[in-house]
Amino acid sequence: MSDPDGLATEGLTKSFGGVRAVDGATVTFHQGRINALIGPNGSGKTTFFNCVTGMIRPDSGTVTYRGRDLTGRPPHRIARAGIGRSFQLCRVFPRMTVLENMLVAVRRTRLRELLVGARQAEDIAKARGLLVRVGIDHLENVEAGNLSYGQQKLLELAGVLMGDPETIMLDEPAGGVNPALIGRIGTLIRELNAEGRTFLVVEHNMDLVMSLSHHVVVFDRGRPIAEGPPAVVREDPRVLEAYLGV
Amino acid sequence: MPNASDTERPPPSPTRTAAPGPRDVKGTRQALTVARAVKLVAFVAGAVLILSFPNMAPNPYILSAGVVVASYACTATAWNFMGGFTGYISLGHAAFFGLGAYATGLLIRDLSWPPFVAWLGAGAVVVLITIPVGIAALRVRGASFVIVSIAFVLILLLVSQAWKDFTGGSNGLVVPRPFPDLLRPEHHRVFFYLFVALLAVMLLVWWVIDRSRFGAGLKAVREDEDKAQALGVPTRDYKLVAYLVSALFTGLSGGMYALWFGDLDPIFQFSILLGAYMVLMALLGGVRHLYGPLLGALIVGGALEYFKLEYGDTQLHLVATAVLLGVVVLFTPNGIIPAATDLVKRFGPQDSSIREMTAAELLERNENEARRAADE
Repeated sequence: MSDPDGLATEGLTKSFGGVRAVDGATVTFHQGRINALIGPNGSGKTTFFNCVTGMIRPDSGTVTYRGRDLTGRPPHRIARAGIGRSFQLCRVFPRMTVLENMLVAVRRTRLRELLVGARQAEDIAKARGLLVRVGIDHLENVEAGNLSYGQQKLLELAGVLMGDPETIMLDEPAGGVNPALIGRIGTLIRELNAEGRTFLVVEHNMDLVMSLSHHVVVFDRGRPIAEGPPAVVREDPRVLEAYLGV
Repeated sequence: MPNASDTERPPPSPTRTAAPGPRDVKGTRQALTVARAVKLVAFVAGAVLILSFPNMAPNPYILSAGVVVASYACTATAWNFMGGFTGYISLGHAAFFGLGAYATGLLIRDLSWPPFVAWLGAGAVVVLITIPVGIAALRVRGASFVIVSIAFVLILLLVSQAWKDFTGGSNGLVVPRPFPDLLRPEHHRVFFYLFVALLAVMLLVWWVIDRSRFGAGLKAVREDEDKAQALGVPTRDYKLVAYLVSALFTGLSGGMYALWFGDLDPIFQFSILLGAYMVLMALLGGVRHLYGPLLGALIVGGALEYFKLEYGDTQLHLVATAVLLGVVVLFTPNGIIPAATDLVKRFGPQDSSIREMTAAELLERNENEARRAADE
């Protein structure tokens, strides 16, 4: 099932030394849906993720989005093409305040717009709205390094939203956070998806993946071995074999 | 202290002041006005002190030492456009200082340009040379960048020493004085003000960038470059612009030095030591602050000139500098200005309104208030 509007890869390959971390992965993600990318540890999910977002240059293969070839583009180009991302180990700017963290994501290109003060009323209003949405607006003047890990995750998500991405790629959004917060992140993802944003989520928490996603792609040894709706993928013998080694 | 339960917003509680109440707003505003007034007074006092220095200097030697310190203040502030904003530590900024100095001298000697036209021309030369160098050097980060920056200054040192026909090699290059009629003390006085004017321009540009969107992007590079790029900041272009601005101002400082001192020697212009001084001064004052490098230059430059005067025949001034660097790194790793600000904050009024409360603190506060209510 190919979608000319969506995010897709064709024969994507990346080796580290002799190890093919991503091995000819051809995947199409469903536009407007919550896509999950799962697989055992070391199956190449994060490398694949980094190839798509430009952090790593693939050895071969292509990444296309909305009919544009994004292969090997630098990360900021991919971000500006409408694909936002979070990091596996959540990353914020620790010595900037929560609000300053948000304002970094304001994108301007003209010199005049770049040299005006960073604290423009419209940008601050937008940032505050997003902070309210994720529930950390009361912390706007706190240095991000002083937030709890869960709060940093929420800040990272709010920062990604600051760039108005159509597609949001999350690397383990539920990793290392408490169950209550996992529920809240899940709700946020559903709400944002209902507004028309596409998600691509790498996740180990199977409960979250199965309840959240519309489409699941299973990776093993650097390439997809199965895909489909969660209920179908869960019963797939190839998936069980990859996970359980039976 | 952060803990997992913080991520749930606490229920609205009368004791918790997430949004500052009316009294807090007034207090904050007053504190802001006071802070602004203190800043203004400090600025005016500092400016008056600096501008009146040539009149207070007891003899031409002290005056010339003042010019040296002013040139240090310029180079340290220029260095900080790169080091302070992006966190890229360059130990090789003497390369731009030397380039600016030699370009100024050579444009006057070989093309007979008027001195200050040559000075501006030298700035353009430095920028043109820095573009390819910056593109290459900024491909690496961290320690690798430090090494590359040192390599560049060493290359220029060797070239300027070996290319005798062009640069004069180790015999030096004599730069004609721009004001041949002035006596020595007057000459020092004029150049002191020229350096201070250059410094003022730099501080103004630093201030504009610091508060701008561009500056926010540069600071994001300093904090986490990959993350900044993932948020859409074109980090390479930003770094290159910061590098060029930094090189331009360092080069202009070098050119000014050439016009003042009038005699260039590769070993002193393309010197690792000079680059290290810039780093030390900026770190000492505080790289995140507008006046950090200036303050650092006053202390380090003043100390250096003093040690040279007292122990000029020995290398003791180098030992003293090394000790100073050690002390800085040990006790005020963020610089003097942040350390002093923290100290003032510690003894000043505590603003609890933006402080986050842990469950334990909240409980304690509730209990205290309950007790107080019971007492009444």
